[in-house]
Amino acid sequence: MSRRLPVPLTAFVGLIYLLLLAPLAIVIAVSFGASATFDFPPTELTLKWYRAFFANGEFVSAFFKVSLVLGVAAAVTACALGIIAAIALVRFRFNGREALEAFFLAPLFIPEILFGAALYLIYARLGIKPSMTSLLLAHVVICVPFVIRNVMAGLIGLDPRLEEAAMSLGASRVQAFVKVALPLIRSSVLSGFIFAFIISFSDINLALFIAGPNSTTLPVFIFNLLLFEGDPSVAAASTLQIAIVGLLIFLVQRLFRPRTLV
Amino acid sequence: MSAPRKRPYGAILALPLALYLAIFLVVPFINIIVLSFYTYSPTRIWVAEPTSANYLALVDGTFLTVLLRTLRLGLFCTVICALLGYPLAYFLARAERRIATIGLFLLVTPLMVSAVIRTFGWLVILGRRGLINAALAAMGLDRLPLLYNETAVVIGLVNVFLPFMVLPLMASIERIDPALEEAARNLGASFLGMFRRVILPLSRPGLISGCLLVTSAAISAFVIPVLMGGARVRVVGRLIYDQLLISYQWPSASAIATLLVIATTSLSFMALAITRRASRQEQGI
Repeated sequence: MSRRLPVPLTAFVGLIYLLLLAPLAIVIAVSFGASATFDFPPTELTLKWYRAFFANGEFVSAFFKVSLVLGVAAAVTACALGIIAAIALVRFRFNGREALEAFFLAPLFIPEILFGAALYLIYARLGIKPSMTSLLLAHVVICVPFVIRNVMAGLIGLDPRLEEAAMSLGASRVQAFVKVALPLIRSSVLSGFIFAFIISFSDINLALFIAGPNSTTLPVFIFNLLLFEGDPSVAAASTLQIAIVGLLIFLVQRLFRPRTLV
Repeated sequence: MSAPRKRPYGAILALPLALYLAIFLVVPFINIIVLSFYTYSPTRIWVAEPTSANYLALVDGTFLTVLLRTLRLGLFCTVICALLGYPLAYFLARAERRIATIGLFLLVTPLMVSAVIRTFGWLVILGRRGLINAALAAMGLDRLPLLYNETAVVIGLVNVFLPFMVLPLMASIERIDPALEEAARNLGASFLGMFRRVILPLSRPGLISGCLLVTSAAISAFVIPVLMGGARVRVVGRLIYDQLLISYQWPSASAIATLLVIATTSLSFMALAITRRASRQEQGI
């Protein structure tokens, strides 16, 4: 007997998904509509808002010169710090290991708006001017837990005897990790990298506090436009963001189970 | 000779990250706590004279109104997330693998898109010239003020934080042996009866940790209350932002932030502890 889910349940779930996805679907639809007043459904299809977006220098710079660059830089840095920390947590036993793991995951549990406020105050106190670098340093903190979680999960699933075998054949500890372990957990590392990128790319709460005039990220730019009712070129930029994030999540899901998120 | 081996020197590998977080996470928060005990100065923002005035002033300020509103919004959001999250989590835990994978993709992707963009979608739907009001106008009815009230904020919060409820719930339900459900059904329980007697009690750790995560996220939300609630629905996050960047009352903002960070991190760590304990009991440790 195959277990079947009750029809009302499935229908209800469909309705929830409709509400969950409605805002994104509307943003995408508006970006292709001809009218400037967010008409839905669009009366005719056009790409003019995309052209308007690409013609707006500040907007394009927020997208490509700030948010994309920042996302990649934050993900690379978070991976560098996170991978070796994950090795320590999985491959070694020492006092306070569990406390250290909790500490590394702590940024997940601290509301970003409060972290942003805390950074704003410490930067102000130390006289550090808002820049790409000061934002990057902050983004690495919120990206690191995603690298740690993914890489730890990959390492736990990997038999340490593989590395030991390499070492007994003459490889050093570092060689054994780089040549044997790393290739085997590459999908975990890649999903950690991708999540880290997305977290930085989508962040608004930190950037609102500590982004300066030269480091306005895409979400902050959109936020400011929305406060003063922008035009559908906001929708075009948003659609590009949704497309990038959707594609990356799709990729991660092929690699790894996304249920380790929360 | 297999793992785990006791080799304390391995901790050195964790040192760079530990130092990094100490500098960029711990120090800023210590600074907030210190500032919250400094004296406010209208001309110099703060002077380093210890005082508890920043905390005492909160008791009879507008802060209490804002705090109560924030907690109320958080409570509504959490209850609605639980009501919507249960059916969704059960569905994802028990659906065919292919369908569950798609369902999970559709749940996680919005979670990862910037909150600003999802809120933007709601502005288009609920705004004065938005989707719903355009439909009402087309039918010759009056436009409704759907935005800039607490209901709008709750809608926005639920939309963004629902996955925080669904993911732990789903993990909890997946651990329940389907044979228990079939046994209940075979003994004559209706689907809802089975759900109430079997799923609900056994998935309680997931529910509790989901509720704690959603509450913690909802009471510290900023973008959604600002864009969907406007000036009328001021929440604690907004209060901190305004005091920091607009009125420069840094000691007072630090006091509020200190209280909120204690509240939210303890909620989240409780959620983590409950999840850990549940999975340990599961493994019989």
